[in-house]
Amino acid sequence: MSMDKSSQGSLQSIAGDVLPTCSAACPVHTDTREYVQRISKGDYEGALDVLLEVNPFPSVCGRICHHPCESKCRRVAIDEAVSLRMLKRFVVENTAAHRIARRKKAVQINSDKSAAIIGAGPAGLTAAMDLALRGYKVKVYEKDTKLGGMLAHAIPRYRLPPEALAQDIEDILATGIEVHFGSSVGVDISFEQLRKENDAVLIAVGLSESHSLPIPGTGSKGVFLGVTFLWDVANGLCPELGERTLVIGGGNVAIDIARAAKRLGPKNVYMACLESREEMPAWKWEIAEAEEEGIEILNSWGPKAILEKDGAVRAMEFRRCASVFDAQRRFSPSYDESVTNTVEVDSVILGIGQKANLDFLLGSEVSVNGGRLTCDRESMATSEPGVFACGEVMTGPGSAIQAVGTGHDAAKVLAHYLETGEILKLPDKNTINIGELPAATAAKARRLDRVCVDLTDPAERIKDFSPIEPVYTEEEALSESRRCLSCATGAHLQFPNHCAGCLTCVRICPFGVAQVRRTAFMPPQECQTCGLCAAECPAFAIEVLRFPTAAMKKSMVENVAGLDLERVARPFLIAYCCVNGTTSRKYLKDQSAGEIMETGVLRILVPCVGRLSMADLVSPFELGADKVAVVSCPEGACYYPRVEGWLERRITRTQRYLDEIGLGGEKLQLFKMEGSGDESWTRIWERFRAVNLETAVGR
Amino acid sequence: MSDKSVVKSGSNLERVLSSGHFAVTCECGPPKGADVEHLEKKIALVKGCVDAANVTDNQTAVVRMSSIAASYILVKNGVEPVMQMVTRDRNRIAAQSDLFGAYALGIRNMLCLTGDHQTFGNHPKSKNVFDIDSLQLLDVVRTIRDSGVVNSGDPVQGGVKMFLGAAANPFADPFEFRVIRLAKKIDAGADFVQTQCIYDMNRFREFMKMACDMGLDRKCYILAGLTPLKSAGMAAYMNKNVAGISIPDEIIKRIRGVAKTEQAEEGIRLLLEQIQEVREIPGVAGVHIMAIEWEERVKEITERAGLLPRPRF
Amino acid sequence: MIVADPKPFLQVKGYLEDFQKVLVVGCGTCTTVCLSGGEAEVQILASGLRIAFGKDGRKKTILEGCVQRQCDLEFIVPVLSQVEAEGIDAVVSLACGVGVNFLADRLGNIPIFPGLDTTFYGANMQQGLWAEMCAGCGSCIVAYTGGICPVARCSKHLLNGPCGGSEKGKCEVDPKNIDCVWQLIYDRLKRLGRLEDLRNLLPAKDWSTASDGGVRRSAREQLYDVK
Repeated sequence: MSMDKSSQGSLQSIAGDVLPTCSAACPVHTDTREYVQRISKGDYEGALDVLLEVNPFPSVCGRICHHPCESKCRRVAIDEAVSLRMLKRFVVENTAAHRIARRKKAVQINSDKSAAIIGAGPAGLTAAMDLALRGYKVKVYEKDTKLGGMLAHAIPRYRLPPEALAQDIEDILATGIEVHFGSSVGVDISFEQLRKENDAVLIAVGLSESHSLPIPGTGSKGVFLGVTFLWDVANGLCPELGERTLVIGGGNVAIDIARAAKRLGPKNVYMACLESREEMPAWKWEIAEAEEEGIEILNSWGPKAILEKDGAVRAMEFRRCASVFDAQRRFSPSYDESVTNTVEVDSVILGIGQKANLDFLLGSEVSVNGGRLTCDRESMATSEPGVFACGEVMTGPGSAIQAVGTGHDAAKVLAHYLETGEILKLPDKNTINIGELPAATAAKARRLDRVCVDLTDPAERIKDFSPIEPVYTEEEALSESRRCLSCATGAHLQFPNHCAGCLTCVRICPFGVAQVRRTAFMPPQECQTCGLCAAECPAFAIEVLRFPTAAMKKSMVENVAGLDLERVARPFLIAYCCVNGTTSRKYLKDQSAGEIMETGVLRILVPCVGRLSMADLVSPFELGADKVAVVSCPEGACYYPRVEGWLERRITRTQRYLDEIGLGGEKLQLFKMEGSGDESWTRIWERFRAVNLETAVGR
Repeated sequence: MSDKSVVKSGSNLERVLSSGHFAVTCECGPPKGADVEHLEKKIALVKGCVDAANVTDNQTAVVRMSSIAASYILVKNGVEPVMQMVTRDRNRIAAQSDLFGAYALGIRNMLCLTGDHQTFGNHPKSKNVFDIDSLQLLDVVRTIRDSGVVNSGDPVQGGVKMFLGAAANPFADPFEFRVIRLAKKIDAGADFVQTQCIYDMNRFREFMKMACDMGLDRKCYILAGLTPLKSAGMAAYMNKNVAGISIPDEIIKRIRGVAKTEQAEEGIRLLLEQIQEVREIPGVAGVHIMAIEWEERVKEITERAGLLPRPRF
Repeated sequence: MIVADPKPFLQVKGYLEDFQKVLVVGCGTCTTVCLSGGEAEVQILASGLRIAFGKDGRKKTILEGCVQRQCDLEFIVPVLSQVEAEGIDAVVSLACGVGVNFLADRLGNIPIFPGLDTTFYGANMQQGLWAEMCAGCGSCIVAYTGGICPVARCSKHLLNGPCGGSEKGKCEVDPKNIDCVWQLIYDRLKRLGRLEDLRNLLPAKDWSTASDGGVRRSAREQLYDVK
């Protein structure tokens, strides 16, 4: 049997609308905990379902998401965050068939209202899909011939291969949106035309153009604008760079530019930015990877002039940047003109920021102020009724997943507008999360190394645009998924009126978090879900939400009911196995009745066998098992302190009881895995089944 | 509060003590049945060697002939009994009734004890009584003797005059409380006290010093309890297994230091030295020789200790 | 709290040989707390009975139940109804003796059997370990003994100090597991500076307030209806 997949419902009851920190940090509130738990149970398809529930771009996010979820992962209090992005990538890369099978079909258009969406980046496409699924006619206008916006044009292939993006886009297109490729609004079709043809218009054009610099020399040969450069690279047009290339900028786009440039062959690639190393807006891991590739970063320099010779770039002159921000933390660089620096280069790429191209709005009533679209963040409405905006054109520079989030929101406000003609103010997006893991609890938790993958060797990876990061193997993914603390899905007083306040939970909790306030209380934000209290509770009042044993028992009863006990291979063994020891999902899948009949083994997977109560250990005999095996993690490997000892004592108690009832305690045995479950389970089962207990002497 | 100047029962033991003689008592355990002959043999062995013999009451909670009956047999055979009575097996009704019966049969000394716990005996599944403890028994019997009323306050028909004894263990814990407890027993009515067997002479001296400092020796006769060691094995066994008895290593070594066949004699030599030692300790009024199942040597011991002949009144 | 220990399994099984439909009913108060008669133990015993009778080739119906307290009528009414409605022909109670008696008085012609041996009024010393603290004698004397009860905690119920079997703070009856309560009392009164309390002879105790005075009732004046 496999574990109950529908525990999700009950999770709500424990913490209400309080989210785990990972989900709260995600702009679309991906149910991170749930998809990771599904991975840990071998249910990769189910994990994909969870991802797609809120995010049409899981393939993209599996590759390039800046994973705010990880930054907020509560495991950091113990060791390191769970590698959530890598797990996501593992899911999408191992569920391709399921993804096609579950692909949403186009919905019958059930409204006479239509919407036009300008721009097919993550925001526009998300909004388009949502609206299409609600039955509206949706037309997307994309000036380019490819969909995905910046994802398609500005992210180098070594980070995001086109196939990954294509996977997400295929899903979206299947929902029946109408896409006009190569259709530049303002050129191929006027904005006014769009407004006339549609009941609402959504501007999702993103920030598609690079800012230039107000310094001398920007018109020289060898000076490139960042986005243009990346577009060329993405489209196979190799811009000609000199041996010494300089990228201006310290953000993530600048890093992408520099790393892409490095792959085009220049001997030296430099990055120069105003910020000090600590202030650089690029992600730390991106900076580190860039440096590994030999990119030299020049911090705290402000561009002064591009020096030219014969109309071509010769060098770049800098002045010392004294500070980037003013006292109010606003961007307001100040310079020390007395300190200058000249770097000899023959190409300069400007990666200092992007702006929107809003030329198509010229002459329309839609208000644009200082090159920026006027837009109310709460209602996403522009100055013109029926015209809305989402994505970076509204929010300013952001991440792909943030853009997806605004796409969902835009679909909501547009749908509301289409139905009512009213503006919808979106509710406050602040979520309540369960907070950090208390240090005292974290100190008691077992440290588990994060599963890291080796990127391609820097010397190799700069040779071309091949992806540099391998996907997790199944073993790695399962191992990493089990590092998830599954926050707030732990012990819960399921039957408060059974609780006698006996303090057993308080006394045995390995993390010291259980309390009795008249009745037992296991603070969800502190409980580490080991289940020891539930196993020892004399009132059976406690359930572990992520693994209810009532459901386990029901499933066991059903499994046995489906067998012909007269013909099952004897001795019939019921084996409780710790799921944490598996390295493939071979054993995590449901067994067929035929398999059980033939092997004489019914395996029951438990996230930690320490969770099994004495009644759980006795009941299989009632169902007809000849022997019961409990297979735990290898010696000393249990994720939870003190659980092994309690389990051993419980097994001994049960063996004595089985002796007392005349069944023979030796029919129940505790085994510890040697190596992984896959390696040792069968061996353990076969060995135990082969022991002739009638003649066995002693224990 | 006991008063030495008032005659309590006029028993031989009381007279020996009140006349200032160094008293000698021993033990005479009743048989595990009704074997009178066996008991009479024991009586004969100690007759004339001691001032009185303690008759134990189902000692160590092993069932034996009742101490009243056995005490009566001692009376008949010319040895004065110290009838022991434990509260383990009888409530205050039975205790007072037994007291009347004992007195009627001519028994004049009585030692009040709580009794060993029944888990040590041959009926560990029995229910105990412990309606009253040994101090309360002293108090009850003393009240009958001195005030002529039973515990409930009803009058007693005729006099019941017992010379009342208690046990004291200077070697149990808490040590500081031991003398207080002795004082309490005297307050409750103890006219004489026999101690647990003494091996640690220093601790006993300390105990006696504390008792004398409190003036207890003036209110009560204190008899030092001594048990001859038959062998090194017995010494080691008692040291290890009998609560409240500790035998110093040098004593065990001394007995072990001689040949097996000589160990009994060495034990007796040690006992004689101990008798001499306790005689010299202020406040000690006599010795209580507990020669456990070794009654045949009592005559020899008392003789060699120079305790014979015993005074006659 | 009342402490009770599980009876040997075969003893309980033996009671039930002649019955077909048995209800095992737990108690959600004291015996749950002392880990012998709560929901968990009910399931374990019922499961064990089914297995053991099944092994003998005798199929019996063993039902499970648990109430908040078996010593209050309102809580046991559902049990009584269930027994009648479902034709249960024997009940095993995992309450203390109070619960067994209370049910027995109300079960008409249906037999009830104890699943536990009720032991004492005790306190928890650590997980899974309890010790006797009170004997329910009906006239508390601990005001004179530093709050520590020699009636319950002295193997001989001595009231005037330790017997000769007190050694190194332990009772000779079981030196490993039993403290000499008089050592505890002595130490505590010493700390309290009240050792003189021990000098006074406590006279023979009035046991009439204990069960020696006959079966007891406890009545709160004006709080119950006098019949």
